[in-house]
Amino acid sequence: MANREENAMWSIFGYLLSGLIFWGGVGIALDKWLNTGYFTLTGLLVGISGAIYLIWLRFGRE
Amino acid sequence: MRVQLRSAAEGEGFVPPSSNDFELPPIFGDNPYTTKPIFLVLLSVILISTFFILSSRKASIIPSKFQFAGESVYSFVRENLAKEVIGHDFLRFVPYLFSLFTFILVNNIFGIIPFIQFPTMSRVSFPYILAISTYLVFHYVGVRKQGAFKYFKEIMFMPGVPKAAYILITPLEILTFFVVRPLTLSLRLFANMFAGHLLLLVFILGGEHLLQGVIGLKLISPFAFAIGIVLTFFEFMVQCLQAYIFTLLAALYIAGALADEH
Repeated sequence: MANREENAMWSIFGYLLSGLIFWGGVGIALDKWLNTGYFTLTGLLVGISGAIYLIWLRFGRE
Repeated sequence: MRVQLRSAAEGEGFVPPSSNDFELPPIFGDNPYTTKPIFLVLLSVILISTFFILSSRKASIIPSKFQFAGESVYSFVRENLAKEVIGHDFLRFVPYLFSLFTFILVNNIFGIIPFIQFPTMSRVSFPYILAISTYLVFHYVGVRKQGAFKYFKEIMFMPGVPKAAYILITPLEILTFFVVRPLTLSLRLFANMFAGHLLLLVFILGGEHLLQGVIGLKLISPFAFAIGIVLTFFEFMVQCLQAYIFTLLAALYIAGALADEH
């Protein structure tokens, strides 16, 4: 159904966005706090993997 | 004031349209609540109410053309959006979805109506308010249906996932449900209307400016106007589509809050 696909599309977009924002934000905060430079990248990667995992849980498991 | 600015600047070359074109001055004195978008919203409410009251007043079995027009909009929202998405408990959400759809549609289409020509939703506060009210509706519905504890637990902790993964996932679920969803809902509508209006301004004001140039530029200006006209039709499509998507997503969020498991 078109509606379900539409829903999936925007949910996936939302999850990817929040993954990057949240774990990327944690990474930036850690970098600021510890004066390092690699946590931002790590955070972004963790965020996007978490989001993809979540998307798989929601839509890929059936 | 904007018109004066534009014509004063005209002599010094073309002023490309910018976000300044969306900040319209108050109409009555200095009162900041009397700007064009505010009157457009009021106008849209009057138009929508008048149209649907008139079209439903003398309802008969064999509908007049007017009644038919009103009823087809209503049944579109009711059947294609509410019934298909929300399912058996859809009837009590039809009024909300219907108001949402017609309100956004009319305010969007203001963008291409001659002499009005300003999509109200290109001022970001209006989509914000619509998204906030939708947000309140679907969380309220979810809490009422499942109880606050169960509802939030189901958002935060998806069943059938290893415990360690919750550290990774739960923040994302919370962020998606409480921040990203209402934000994308309003920003999508706002950005589409903003960009569309800007695009039309570029081609139509640009065409007008070319017309005042030397003969070679005058010859090009019809092309700019022609693209402006094509884009106006394109805008009409985008305006309808955005009203539809906003309502569809509102319905989907309500359906998600009502569902027992996601």
